[in-house]
Amino acid sequence: MNIYSFKGAVLGLGLAVFAAGSAAADMLADIKASGEMTFGTEMHYAPFDLLVNGQYEGLCKDLMDEVTKDLGVTPKYNDLPWTSVLPGLEAGKFQMVNAPVTITAERMERYAFTLPIADASVGLIKRTGDDRITKPEDIAGLVVGSQKGSAQLEQLKVFGEGLGGIDVREYSSVDEAYADLAAGRLDAVAGSFPLLGYAASKRPEIFETVTPVFGEKKYFAWVAVKSEETESMIAAVNEILLNMQDDGRMAKLHEKWLGTAVELPREMPAVK
Amino acid sequence: MFSWSTIVENLPYLLQATRFTLLVSGLGMGLGLVMGIVLCVARLSPIRWISRIAALYVSFFRGVPLLVQLLLAYYFLPSVGIDIPPLWAAVCSIGLCAAAYIAEILRGALIAVPHGQAEAAAALGMHPFTIWKRILIPQALKISMPSLVNELIMLVKVSSLVSAVGIVELTRMSQSISAATFRPLEIYIAAAAIYLVINLALAGLGQALEKRLDY
Amino acid sequence: MDIDLFVQYGPILLCGLLNTVLCWIVGAAGGVALGFVIAVAMYYGPRPLRYVLRGYIEVIRGTPFLIQLFILYYGGPNIGLRLDPVPAGILGLIIYGSPYYAEIFRAGLQAVPRGMIEAGRAMAMSEGTILRRITLPILMVSSVPPLTNFSIILTKETAILSIVTVPELLYQVQTMSAETFAYMEAMFALALFYWGFVEVISWAGRKLELKTNAFLSKELSA
Repeated sequence: MNIYSFKGAVLGLGLAVFAAGSAAADMLADIKASGEMTFGTEMHYAPFDLLVNGQYEGLCKDLMDEVTKDLGVTPKYNDLPWTSVLPGLEAGKFQMVNAPVTITAERMERYAFTLPIADASVGLIKRTGDDRITKPEDIAGLVVGSQKGSAQLEQLKVFGEGLGGIDVREYSSVDEAYADLAAGRLDAVAGSFPLLGYAASKRPEIFETVTPVFGEKKYFAWVAVKSEETESMIAAVNEILLNMQDDGRMAKLHEKWLGTAVELPREMPAVK
Repeated sequence: MFSWSTIVENLPYLLQATRFTLLVSGLGMGLGLVMGIVLCVARLSPIRWISRIAALYVSFFRGVPLLVQLLLAYYFLPSVGIDIPPLWAAVCSIGLCAAAYIAEILRGALIAVPHGQAEAAAALGMHPFTIWKRILIPQALKISMPSLVNELIMLVKVSSLVSAVGIVELTRMSQSISAATFRPLEIYIAAAAIYLVINLALAGLGQALEKRLDY
Repeated sequence: MDIDLFVQYGPILLCGLLNTVLCWIVGAAGGVALGFVIAVAMYYGPRPLRYVLRGYIEVIRGTPFLIQLFILYYGGPNIGLRLDPVPAGILGLIIYGSPYYAEIFRAGLQAVPRGMIEAGRAMAMSEGTILRRITLPILMVSSVPPLTNFSIILTKETAILSIVTVPELLYQVQTMSAETFAYMEAMFALALFYWGFVEVISWAGRKLELKTNAFLSKELSA
């Protein structure tokens, strides 16, 4: 008689598996019907998206709160690491990315962008009191960090080539680049200027911005999946964004989070 | 310039997030134990294809990084029509992965259970199911208690990966707070201390349990 | 599934794999060496040293590698320890692995039957000979399976080196997915590479186990 004949009769473990909801024809209609709109973002991107005392805050939240209020729906925000945000959007885990995504030609081929919500031009920060860098061109030959896969990294590389070469280091998140600037391994960090300005305002004894910005004019916007389903949703969000530019809500929120209000394009900016 | 106040101010949020660390690793361990026992039995099955499947399972789940398993469960399964809520994706991934390790731990322990005991029980006419339930599994669990506690401590640490599917546990909360305060070192040291307290408590509990099982 | 991607990114993915393997080999070997020293020091050393080492083991085992590495790399410069990414990554792996390896060796040392050592003494063997001919061979044999096991666990911790910009496999896969948005392809590439890597190590571990067993039976019968 063999004692090993019992062959695991308890394999039917109750996994909570649900079939994915059948594809809806129109996402906006879905949102209005359910009264809820779902978003994915990384709450690590001050002053756009950040956690203050465990609460989600930031320019993107304030703007999206206004947008959803005008749409008459409740927003539901999810915090995900950046590497999971775009895959999550494509997997249908939420309806829109309300993190600031820089508008680029490659991304426009893959995603549907809303109108710009903020300026994304690339700038620099250095360690406070570092006299070697007083203008962007001074980074020639120095070590500069930036976020992997970001539009600002591309701009930095182009800018660096024009200067005769810089040592570019790529980080999975901008937070680690800041840490390495503070640790002294980097001479500067390149990123979107509002982001860097916020870091410098929070830790002025460590970080200092380098003006002016450089490279091509870039803008941040939100993205959704590129398909017929999302067209009406994007159009509705765009209409509200334009209204907010007109009635001054946009400028007020920009002043609250970025210190200044900038003129934003009223139509999709041309990108190469 | 070490800022103690940053730690003190943010401690409540770190502790809040710690609940998810405990929940995910605890449920993952529970699922891992159940699945691990099943797998271990299947691995020792005399029927070739059953033991082959179990061996393949162990090889896959030990070979592929948990992060990849998580992302596949959460982002790939929807594209083939299966949608799992984040917490389930996290618990299942951790549990399924832990099962592979636990199965191997139990298999090692079963070898140490004297063969004569099972044979004696069989000679007494005990049903194979009863032999497993009454003789083999309880003893294997006891022998492998230190390894199982180690596995649980491992799970507490790897549970930081579940942030990839949107669960804000201790490591994720530390990252978020450092990103907002620009004081990563203080926050990470605080998080390390919390992990250490949990794991020391678990190790202590494991030792106490081992003593009690020592009849 | 876009096969062209793998052709285009093949070279950097292979480079990443090589870096992963390199960091793992050096990290695991260093961890085994440091672990062995710790185990021996705990077994033969004075009581205060044992307490210090016990504390080291508990602290390192009780905290996640990600946090240890972050503190080592980004916090190190505050106390004058400025390491480049790859050395920091390898040192991190050595430190992280050492307590696990130390515990494996400690258990192995305790499992050496006292009777065999006493028999050696009775036969007037020197302590050095006892160590070389009795303790070490038995320790080696009993330790190989758990050493392989933990080394497999360590392979996957190498992915964490990407946070300190070590250009290992995950770092390169992230580059690929950030540039091409091909997330699923990237995940599958990562899964396949690691699976293959771990299978190779398991196979090598089994070979080593057979070798040490053969060595032992030869030694003991000689």
